[in-house]
Amino acid sequence: MRTRMAGIGIAALWLAASSPADVPIEIPGDVERLAPLGAHHVVVADLLLRRSGIVDLDSGAFLGMFSTGFLTRGGVFPPGASEFFVPETYYSRGSRGARTDVVTIYESQRLAPVGEIEIPPKRAMNVLASGNDGVLDGGRFVVVHNMTPATSVSVVDVEARTFVEEIATPGCALVYPAGPRRFFSLCANGSLLSVTLDENGNKQRVRRSDPFFDPQVDPITEKGIRVGDTWIFASFEGYAVPIDVSGDEPKPGERWSLLDEADRADSWRIGGSQHLAGHAGLGRLYSLVHQGGADSHKEPGTELWVYDLARRERVQRIDLEHAGFELLGEPISFGESWPWPLNRLSDLLIYGLAPSFGISHVVVTRGNDPLIVTGSSLGGSLAVYEAETGTFLRRVTTGNFTVQRLQAPWGAN
Amino acid sequence: MTIIDRWFARTARRLAQHTSRRSFLARFGVAIAGGAALPLLPVARPAGAAPREPAPGEPDPTSPEGDPNACTYWRYCAVDGFLSSCCGGTHTSCPPGTEMSAITWLGTCRNPADGKDYVISYNDCCGKDICGRCFCQRNEGDKPVYYTHKSNDINWCMGTESSIYNSTVAVVVGVATES
Repeated sequence: MRTRMAGIGIAALWLAASSPADVPIEIPGDVERLAPLGAHHVVVADLLLRRSGIVDLDSGAFLGMFSTGFLTRGGVFPPGASEFFVPETYYSRGSRGARTDVVTIYESQRLAPVGEIEIPPKRAMNVLASGNDGVLDGGRFVVVHNMTPATSVSVVDVEARTFVEEIATPGCALVYPAGPRRFFSLCANGSLLSVTLDENGNKQRVRRSDPFFDPQVDPITEKGIRVGDTWIFASFEGYAVPIDVSGDEPKPGERWSLLDEADRADSWRIGGSQHLAGHAGLGRLYSLVHQGGADSHKEPGTELWVYDLARRERVQRIDLEHAGFELLGEPISFGESWPWPLNRLSDLLIYGLAPSFGISHVVVTRGNDPLIVTGSSLGGSLAVYEAETGTFLRRVTTGNFTVQRLQAPWGAN
Repeated sequence: MTIIDRWFARTARRLAQHTSRRSFLARFGVAIAGGAALPLLPVARPAGAAPREPAPGEPDPTSPEGDPNACTYWRYCAVDGFLSSCCGGTHTSCPPGTEMSAITWLGTCRNPADGKDYVISYNDCCGKDICGRCFCQRNEGDKPVYYTHKSNDINWCMGTESSIYNSTVAVVVGVATES
C-alpha cells in the first residue's frame, strides 16, 4: 500500500513539473508602494476605527491607510514633501497605562512610519476636524494644540526631528498656521493670539489682537479654512470673517454675510462639522447650509452654497445628494446594472426611505479639475461632484464606519 | 440626466431629508418586504430660546422622571456623546470600571416638570473605549472649543488616569438664576 501511494505521489510531482503552468510562479512578500498622490486623492479619517484611509475619487479605489490612535483625525501634509506627520496619543495598555504623545513621521509612498518625535502628553482631544494641528509655511515646523484644560501649543521641528518648545496660549485655543514662523489661536474674548517664532522655532513674540467678534452674541466656528493668505471663518449667524495672514500680524478683515434677508427669513443657517471649503484658483468659497433654529451650528447641511470670494456673493446653490450607505466596506445598493428605470430603484428605496444622516463634512480638491467631496459623520461613504458646475458624479466607498475629517492635501493649489 | 432621473433623485432626496435616523431600520425592513411605510419617529431639534414647550419624547410635565435613556431627556439639552445610562451606568453615574472626569462643561437645561432651569454638569466617563450606544447630540448653548467650559466638542477626560472617552453623564449641580 505504502509503495502504491509513493508511486502516485511521484507521478503527481512529475505531472506538476512537466505541465505548462498557466499562471507564472509567484514569490510571496510583495508590499505595494503608492504612486505619487494627486489632487483627486483624499484622506478620510475615522474616529471609531482609529485610522485614515486614502481613496481615489476618480476610480473609487482604496489606496491604503495609516493608523492614528485615539481621537486623531488625519495628518499634517506639508506641500510637496515626501513625508507627512501624524500627531497621536497612545496608552501603553491600549486604553490605560502610561500615556505617550508623539508626532509620527510617515514616508508618503510607503505609507509607513519611519520615525517619531515625542511631544508633551497634553495633545488636545476633541472632535474638531480643524484647528488641532498644522504645518507652518515652508514645511519645517509642525504645531500641535494642547489642552489639559490649560491651553498651549507644541512646536516640532520636523526637519531636525526634534520637539522645540511648548508655548502657553492662556485664554486662547486651537492653532492656525499663518506664515513660515507664525500661527494664531482664537480666544474666549473674541480676539486672536498671534505667536511668532524665531529661526529655531522658539517663541519670539506673542501678540493679542483687539476683539473682532463677540463670542456671547455671535461666535465664529473653529472650522475655518485657508484660501491663499486668508483664513475664512463663519459665524453662527452666517457671516464670513476673513483673517489676512500675509503681513506681519494676522489681520481680521471686514465681515460679510453668507445669507441675504430672504435666506434669513427662511431660517437658512450655516452648520456642520467641517462646513467650509474653498478653492484658491476658482476664487470660490463653499458653505454647508440647512434650515434650522438657534444652536443648530452643528446640524448637517442640506445644500451647499457657492460664493465668489472676490465679489463676496453667492453664485450657486447645490442640492446635496445622499453620501450613501456602506456596511463593513460594502456599499448598500443594488440593481445599478438593471435596465432603466429599474436601475433607479435602489436610489428610491435606499436613499428615499432610509434617513439621511446629513452632510456634515465638505472639502474641495486642489488643481485645475477640482472636485467637491462630501461625507456624513455617521457613515463611511462619500459623494463626489464637479466643483465648477456642482454636477453630482458618483459615490465612493471608503470602508470607514464614520467620516470625521476630509483632507485633500495634494495637487497644485 | 433625464427628467425622470431628476424626479427620482429629487424625490429620494426629499424623502431622505424628512426621514429620521431611528426609523431607518423599521422602514427599510418594511420597504424590502414590500410593505407600507411606517409613521416617522420624531427627531430632536434643539429649541431656540427658552421657555419652550416640551419636545416630542420629552417627559410629560407631570412626570419629573422622564426617560434618561432617551436623547430627548431634558438634562441632555447640551450633550454631545454616548449616554452613560445606555452603557452600564445611569444618567448620574458612570459605567462600571470607568472613571468620572472631575472637570466638565456646563449646560443650562429647563426641566419641563417644574419649569425651572438647572445647571447641568456633563462629566465624561473615562478609561474604556467609546461605548457606541445612544449617541446623543444636542447643542443648546454650545460654544466653540476656544470658549472652553461651554463646549461639548471637547473630550473632558482630563485629569483622569486615562483620557480615553467612554460616555457621558448629566448631573444637576444647581438651579440656574438670571444673571
